[in-house]
Amino acid sequence: MTRRALAVAILLATTLESGFASAYEYDEPTPFPSLVWTLTQLLPSPELFTGTGGTRYGMRWQVTPVLYSFGANRRISPWRWFVVDPMARQSGSIELFFSPEYVAESPRLADDAILRTGVRSYFPLVEKGDYLSVSLGASHYLFEGHSGAAIEGGVYVLFGILGLQVTYSPSALPAQWITTIRIRNF
Amino acid sequence: MPGRLVVVLFSFLVAGASGCRMQRAATKNFAELFRASAKVPHRIEHPRRADAGLAVLWVGHATVLLQMDDKFILTDPVFTSTVGQLSKRLTEPGISPDAVPPIDAVLISHLHFDHLSYGSLEMLERKIRRIVVPEHGLVYLPDFAFDAMELPVWRSYEESGMRVTAVPVRHVGWRYGTDAAWMTKSFCGYVIEYNGMTVYYGGDTGYEAPDFAAARARFPHIDVAILPIGPIAPRAFMEHNHEDPDEAVRAFLALGARWMVPIHYDTFINSTDAPGEAPERLVIAARASGVSERVAILGIGEQRVFLPRALSHALSRP
Repeated sequence: MTRRALAVAILLATTLESGFASAYEYDEPTPFPSLVWTLTQLLPSPELFTGTGGTRYGMRWQVTPVLYSFGANRRISPWRWFVVDPMARQSGSIELFFSPEYVAESPRLADDAILRTGVRSYFPLVEKGDYLSVSLGASHYLFEGHSGAAIEGGVYVLFGILGLQVTYSPSALPAQWITTIRIRNF
Repeated sequence: MPGRLVVVLFSFLVAGASGCRMQRAATKNFAELFRASAKVPHRIEHPRRADAGLAVLWVGHATVLLQMDDKFILTDPVFTSTVGQLSKRLTEPGISPDAVPPIDAVLISHLHFDHLSYGSLEMLERKIRRIVVPEHGLVYLPDFAFDAMELPVWRSYEESGMRVTAVPVRHVGWRYGTDAAWMTKSFCGYVIEYNGMTVYYGGDTGYEAPDFAAARARFPHIDVAILPIGPIAPRAFMEHNHEDPDEAVRAFLALGARWMVPIHYDTFINSTDAPGEAPERLVIAARASGVSERVAILGIGEQRVFLPRALSHALSRP
């Protein structure tokens, strides 16, 4: 079940964007999932799971189905769909995100996957978030047959390319704390 | 300290991916991160010149403070100590942001970090009346207190007798690289006309003879052409989007302007050029073309009056 959900998520990320992109009705550039963009989305963010049973390594990917930017210029649309430019995100925004995660060191792939859906808000601190921004968020996850809630915080530099996120899940005992080096370009 | 570690790792990552010439530039840049920017002696505190009709103050890189009678125009303002968080400023801005007068128009030529600097716009936010960006440029302009507008190529806007027209140049429209597939239009130069004076601002451009010829056809009496002369090397990489000094002189001649002011060199490390190389080559190219006296190489922070304030500048034209 989990594996199927993961496959659906990846399909959504890579194929549905064109339909959303064409929904732009402004005289604005229309972002679309170019080959370069798609490749950058495949870059994983390394992470460390800490909980009962010790520490394990893992990876996280992220998809942003929709984002509302409250930092974008008032003359243009504040909405972004899947392809989200760093300015819109780091200058102040709220996003719906979907994160498939992989926890290493277990022989069964299905048991190693975390599926996370949540809402995250970014706040610019320096240079409209280009140089420094922070985020706060909450998510719901599915992990090893259980579901639960998590909260998270993050700090980002280099227009959001590089960040550090900490996720706390009180009920996910094997992975109560997740520290992620967030690598993201768009 | 962790921030510096990140910079090191990122520098090596970028350098490793871009070949040894870029690696050299990245290594130089990294070393500069730990040095203070050079000071500009006797920075101008009051740039408004009562005697000036047309005055140019080079702030550094592509940032120029233009005075055209009572109007002030600022091009691609960058006053921050770094661009893109990693490229360090070698010399402090030629004027303090506090000393910048109220600006009638800020002109953004394209969206790269060394031309569209959010931190610099924040410093000047209360002084700016309007910002003009190229077509599709608003998508990367955060919301500020001042008004903002896009100006597609060959479109103009006019306000209180001053007219600004976007003109074609050869460059690229993306900001982050990943967006190159759809950010294809956001670059231009500008021509500013006011009280009979005309200034051409090339922003950041490769040599494209038809673009300069078209600008001259439409604006046959350009007083000052502000043109980039770098980065020069590695040439095979730079030539598509950046004029070298020889090409800048050819562009100057193609535009038919009276004077040329070179920009876009020796302020940030964005190439493998040696400091001083670009102006030295410009001097040689200008001499070879017989236009040495018409090429005004300003130091960072230097202001030059090209036309005195007069009722009709048309009278001062040859």
